Amino acid sequence: MSWGGSVRTASGGPFRHKVQAFVLGMVLLVSTASATLGLALLAASNGPFDHAFDAQRGAHVAVTVNPARATPAELAATSHAAGVTAAAGPFTEATVQTQFGGQPFGQLTLAGRSAPGGPVDDLVLNSGHWPDGPGQVVLDDNFNGGPGGGGPGLGSVLAVTGVAGKPSLTVVGFANSITNTADGWVAPAEMTALRAPGTAPALQMLYRFASAGSDAQIRADVAAIAKVLPAGSVAGADSWLSAQTQADGNGAIMEPFVVAFALIGLAMAVLIVGNVVSGAVIAGYHRIGVLKSIGLTPAQVVVVYLSRIGWPALAGCVLGVVAGNVLAVPVLHQSAGAYGVGSQQVPLWASVAAPLGMLALTVLAALGPAIRAGRLSAVEAIAAGRAPRTGRGYAVHRLAATLRLPRPVGLGLAAPFARPARTLVTLAAVAFGATAVIFAIGLHSSLARAQAGQRLSATVPVQVQQQAPGAGPNQLPTAAQFAAMTAALRAQPGTAHDVSVYEAQVKVAGATENVNAYAFGGDSSWTGYSLISGSWPQATGEVAVNTAFLNATGLAVGGTATVNTGTAQVTARITGEVFQPSGEPRIYGSAQTLPGVATSQNFWQVDVGLRPGTSPAAYMSGLNSALGGSSPFLAVGPDGGQFYTIASELIGLLSLMVAIAAGLGVLNTVLMTTRDRVHDLGVFKSLGMRPGQVLTMVVCWVVVPAVLAGAIAAPVAVALNTATVHAMAGTAHTGVPASFTQVFGPLRLAVLALAALVIAVAGALLPASWAARARPAVALRAE
Amino acid sequence: MRQHIADDVIRFDGVTKIYQAGTPAALADVTLTVAAGEVAAVMGPSGSGKSTLLNLVAGLDKPTSGTVTVAGLRIDTLGESALARFRARHVGIIFQFFNLLDDLTVADNVLLPAQLAGASRRAARARAAELLDRLGIADHRDHYPARLSGGQRQRVAIARALVNSPELLLADEPTGALDTATGQEIGRLLRELNAAGQTLVLVTHDPALAQRYAARTLRLVDGHLVPANAAVLT
Repeated sequence: MSWGGSVRTASGGPFRHKVQAFVLGMVLLVSTASATLGLALLAASNGPFDHAFDAQRGAHVAVTVNPARATPAELAATSHAAGVTAAAGPFTEATVQTQFGGQPFGQLTLAGRSAPGGPVDDLVLNSGHWPDGPGQVVLDDNFNGGPGGGGPGLGSVLAVTGVAGKPSLTVVGFANSITNTADGWVAPAEMTALRAPGTAPALQMLYRFASAGSDAQIRADVAAIAKVLPAGSVAGADSWLSAQTQADGNGAIMEPFVVAFALIGLAMAVLIVGNVVSGAVIAGYHRIGVLKSIGLTPAQVVVVYLSRIGWPALAGCVLGVVAGNVLAVPVLHQSAGAYGVGSQQVPLWASVAAPLGMLALTVLAALGPAIRAGRLSAVEAIAAGRAPRTGRGYAVHRLAATLRLPRPVGLGLAAPFARPARTLVTLAAVAFGATAVIFAIGLHSSLARAQAGQRLSATVPVQVQQQAPGAGPNQLPTAAQFAAMTAALRAQPGTAHDVSVYEAQVKVAGATENVNAYAFGGDSSWTGYSLISGSWPQATGEVAVNTAFLNATGLAVGGTATVNTGTAQVTARITGEVFQPSGEPRIYGSAQTLPGVATSQNFWQVDVGLRPGTSPAAYMSGLNSALGGSSPFLAVGPDGGQFYTIASELIGLLSLMVAIAAGLGVLNTVLMTTRDRVHDLGVFKSLGMRPGQVLTMVVCWVVVPAVLAGAIAAPVAVALNTATVHAMAGTAHTGVPASFTQVFGPLRLAVLALAALVIAVAGALLPASWAARARPAVALRAE
Repeated sequence: MRQHIADDVIRFDGVTKIYQAGTPAALADVTLTVAAGEVAAVMGPSGSGKSTLLNLVAGLDKPTSGTVTVAGLRIDTLGESALARFRARHVGIIFQFFNLLDDLTVADNVLLPAQLAGASRRAARARAAELLDRLGIADHRDHYPARLSGGQRQRVAIARALVNSPELLLADEPTGALDTATGQEIGRLLRELNAAGQTLVLVTHDPALAQRYAARTLRLVDGHLVPANAAVLT
């Protein structure tokens, strides 16, 4: 017989060991999928804006042009201006006032585009379709509020006010422009009807330049465009750099936990594959021993092993990379939302590296046992293929027998000690899974506290803001309108507190940049700002500041800040550091502490606290009715929660995937143990062990490793959560109150540690039920 | 005191067992009875259906057709849980290669069927101690099977089979893995048990063992029951 023929005969071919091949293929499928996703997430977290900007051919500059000054031919000629590498447009542009559900929805910049694609600003249509008729609009994804989000969803109708006929626009899609070139897009023919009477027409031109990495280069690029157009044609220009700064801020916040989940997923994939492959090889020792006794050479043994696992491994890896790409679609959609970029794809290198890496790992895991099998004598190989080494776990069995436990439970609990290495792998897989679950729940709680702390949603569930032009100069509300709003607010049932907040830019000694000052026109002690350290200002002359303020000025809590409000220079003692994540320095104090800030020009909003049991939605509805349609003021809920919502969804999805992979790891080890102990199972059954008792015993095999895994996972997850929250806070330029990381009470942590048990039992149930159903005669013959 | 539900401990009516469609029957239309207190030897060459017959009597497997009644129970229609209860209460099995659990001590091996059947801890321990003493292996109660001789292991297996006081003891080649002297010792032990009223079905290749200890021999050839005096190559 030829060399290859011997190997083929000895291995039995790829389909001989169907169950083992299936399990191996499945584990590699899941592991490769998880590795693909992990690598994709790692890649997505690396410069997400830059990648998306390149992929979507983002506009370095969006120039607003006055069509009365430049002809279409002149605009077309700008594509050859110095430094321009690509140009798109002109697109008609209009700024409109809108209403949604009868309430002001704000001002939207709309552009008329016949298609989402193009050489510049290739829009990503995330849902719905592009406008293909009159009365249709595609909104920027940031406005996506449906279903259940309170904002417009697909099919919602916006009313355009201030335009003849008050035209309606039906939302037919949501899209993302990487540089936010518009808030919405309609068919070009629609634009004429949307321009308010008396407003100047405008055109939008989008450009990419050879050099646009700094504000100076952008200014030079815009000047080059202006140079080829008639004077006065360029009415304005928006740079891509502001979008980059904002998106990079979001991305940096996301990165720590995305990286943490990706690394957990990759580590677990490596662990599980190593365990499955080496287990599969060792399970074949007996057969190899027999084949060696009839003449198989050591080299042939090694090849037999590798060929036996090669085909199912290859199939698993190929299917895994496909599954990983499919699975990555919703996950990357979430991460793209959190990063504030339109879309993210699995990079090609991840789709190549993941399966190749898993195949390499498979070969490495198999090579050691295979070489060992090749070196063993036939008799040793046969012996090595038998069940656990004599003596292991006996003492534990003896101890279990003395405990007053049902016998199947005692037998199950003691079983893992016969296979310590395999038990350790089970323990590690479950520990990874449980860590991911506990970490995810903790991070979710931390983010919820951060969200509540930042949005003040618990203490200030309603804010009254100016949403329409006032009757005073510069469209500011008049004193009478302010008074009417305050009267309506205080007359509204359910009002517990209210305080006007004013915002202005001030100078602070020691800070090179302007500081945002927030002055309260009344008692603000109830507003509930989360404090990282110190206390909320109680008296005139006291202020609270955010972390960026302390970093910018070099001051500390307890120090004194010298503030120039433009009308006065005052000194104030810093009593506390508040949690307000932002790169911009902020200072909070009373109107008396910050004189000159609390003016009608600087009015920002009224913070409203409600009496217990008052529904914010009902309160806002009632107050808005009381204010009436002519009031420039509108009661709204706190905003700014989208990042937290998307991040929470992403965390949930990632932890679920890691938990499922851990469960599969357990399934595999229990399956291997069941195969090892199939004869013992036959004996148990022949002695009268009932299927329910078999199920209990097999499930109990994983209980001890799971309890230990839970005990390990709980403190690791707490540490990981603390480190991640601090890393996220660091990238958001803020410290965090201790309460944000102290989200695990002892009882809660103990309950969460049970996640390990849940994962382990879920993974063990399937092989346990197979073992319970097996006919005793079949199990006894399986020897 | 055991309670006999019927005079015949085993009754096979037209039992056929086919493992795979298209292959010859492992047992073909077998009808037989074994009375209470009887020792019946089942003999036949390899592949004749001896182990299949034993598996069907023990409820370890189910017939393709026919009815199997053991200790008054129609067991071919029982589900797996009911069959497990049946085995625990009514049948003790002795295997050729003992099938002791290596990671349990002698005492724990013997106790196991009683514990699985839900016997009280005190009663089970007392019964196990009595059996270990009676079979002469009380000194080894805390040893592991790997440290025992073949004869000692088979005694442990017999003690384990008897711990629930079954109506029926099934022995599959009980001396097959033992030397001659030890085999004879185990044979004498089985005869003593029968003398005390234990019904015994003995599967063996060994005509001498069958002749010496069994009152009746059931001979199987290619799954068919043949007259005991028929000439058969074993």
